Amino acid sequence: MNSVVTSTPDTPRSNYRQALRLMRYGLTQYTIQWLLLLVVIILSVTNSNFRQEANLLSVLRQASFAGIGAAGMTVLIISGAFDLSVAGMLGLCGVVLGKLLPDYGILTAVSLTLLLGCLLGVVNGLVVTKVRVPAFIATLGMMYIYLAIGFIITNGQVVPVLNREFRRLGSGNFWGLPTPFILMVATYVVLLGILNFTTYGRFIRAVGSNETASRVGGIPVDRVRVFAFVLVGLCTGLAAVVLTAYLSSAQPNMATGYELRVIAAAVVGGTSLKGGQGTLFGTFAGALMFTVISNALNLFNVGAYWQYVAVGMIIIIALAIDALRHRFFVAGS
Amino acid sequence: MALVLRFFQLFESLGVLVMLLLLFAVMSFANPVFLKYNNLTNVIITASIIAVTGMGMTLAVAMGGLDLSVGSNQALTACVAASLLNHTNIPFTFAGTLLLGMAVGIVNGLIISRLHVPAFVATLGMMSILRGAALLYTDGQSVLIMGHRDFAQLNSGKVLGVPMPFIIALLTLVVFYILLRHTPFGRHICAIGGNESAAHATGLKIGLIKVLVFGLTGMSAALSGIMLSAQLLYVDGTLGAGLELQAITVTVLGGTSLSGGSGNLPGTLIASLLVAAISSALNILKIAPFYQYLALGSLLILALALDTLRRMVVQKVVSGGAL
Repeated sequence: MNSVVTSTPDTPRSNYRQALRLMRYGLTQYTIQWLLLLVVIILSVTNSNFRQEANLLSVLRQASFAGIGAAGMTVLIISGAFDLSVAGMLGLCGVVLGKLLPDYGILTAVSLTLLLGCLLGVVNGLVVTKVRVPAFIATLGMMYIYLAIGFIITNGQVVPVLNREFRRLGSGNFWGLPTPFILMVATYVVLLGILNFTTYGRFIRAVGSNETASRVGGIPVDRVRVFAFVLVGLCTGLAAVVLTAYLSSAQPNMATGYELRVIAAAVVGGTSLKGGQGTLFGTFAGALMFTVISNALNLFNVGAYWQYVAVGMIIIIALAIDALRHRFFVAGS
Repeated sequence: MALVLRFFQLFESLGVLVMLLLLFAVMSFANPVFLKYNNLTNVIITASIIAVTGMGMTLAVAMGGLDLSVGSNQALTACVAASLLNHTNIPFTFAGTLLLGMAVGIVNGLIISRLHVPAFVATLGMMSILRGAALLYTDGQSVLIMGHRDFAQLNSGKVLGVPMPFIIALLTLVVFYILLRHTPFGRHICAIGGNESAAHATGLKIGLIKVLVFGLTGMSAALSGIMLSAQLLYVDGTLGAGLELQAITVTVLGGTSLSGGSGNLPGTLIASLLVAAISSALNILKIAPFYQYLALGSLLILALALDTLRRMVVQKVVSGGAL
């Protein structure tokens, strides 16, 4: 009995197998997307309020605040690091933006805020790569520092945003879709382009998969890391713009817990915390998934406290499925 | 060269202590109120509650793990302790609360070792779940502890002038220290932290050890929950937010490397004293509370930078290069 099966491409048996493999690939590679689709379909059928256009648009708007930040975070996690300072960073950017708006006009203020985000990203990147502190703890320290600077600037006060034009960035619509959602889609498209079609983007995946090999192979590992941190800073700056516009005010602790929501969206979307693996499409679906679930819980009149439980469950279940999938593939190959 | 190494070795074991003494020296000039007995007692009580959680965290970090759920765990156990106390007696409260904390930790351990979810994400999820559980349990209300003088003694009582919470922290330190340094179990924890696949290859029951360590971390969070409810006598489900970050901070400041493989429990206790003393000093100097974040963040980065420097020196000595 020959145990090594030599598959000839023409037999119907191998066609069947190939179809099966393709199906398995489609199901396992896009787990979160399928789950999201399933949840949305079930909710649309069972709940007439969920399928209202206004509700769906509101879900898209709500999803984009964490979604924008999650895009940058995904790229950084793929590069093998992560950033816990985004909540402080977002607060600081928002506060600075609120202070700049009355004097400088929308365009200048927004550009300066995005620039500030990039700058804070550079600082994080340098602390991690030059001082060689593990990213987890370095960015934890930086979060305290950004939060403190935000409080020092505002002296603990809330910065109101009165500019109506600017507020449309958060609560307005564009082509019939919420403006934040449009910005979110744009962010994902740009980052996808950077990740897949630029030299540094491809370096990011290489560094995340195997840092030592990348270093030996001549990739400027530190510069790639800093670049990934800058992308996080840029996305966080944009999130600060959108969130400040939506809330019509800014304060340093306006995004408490943001880092965990952002990382959760990335992780549920299939990005491995070990680095090297992950897709922006997955994170996109992950961010939507959290909003859809919390929206559904609201519609079913489930109390706010249960939402904490639900969010925790989603994180653990998604990761358990992911771990199972990995073992399944390792065992299968 | 050897001298430099010696300096770093000394610094690793005494660095936080030096910083603490320096703070005391500065404060005794800046504002003597800091050294008043009442203020010191308050610092010690605050520090003890952080330290008990921090020492549990130190065990998890020594194993190469991490527990982000301790803050929510503290909130849940503080609320459960308060309502158990109102319905039953003190021994039952202690037993029930500690068991609950341990059960939570065991669930963490099982998710990590059985479902193969990374510790960071598993405990992140549990953090959210436990927060929800605490709020659901209290229905968002506060629980008032009434008519239990002897329970309040847990916080305000003194033995030979030493506040009771500090005694609890010292007892925890002794138990955990013996466990980590003088038992096979402790050596197994460090072995897993040093190199998990090597530990697996030598036949250690990694799953069991992980479950036990997270159980201990959960139990220490529950103990701090009891201490907190004895301090406040008025608890709700929002307590303990950010405790996980404080616990990690004191662990790292105390000289435990996040890469795992060793744990410095006395360091954790001293670092807790330092963190509590800094925030008390800033309060006394009437510095706005948000500067405390700045101090904590800078301290954390500084401690880590020194740790990195030390590792570089050690590596150079080991590889025989000249400085």
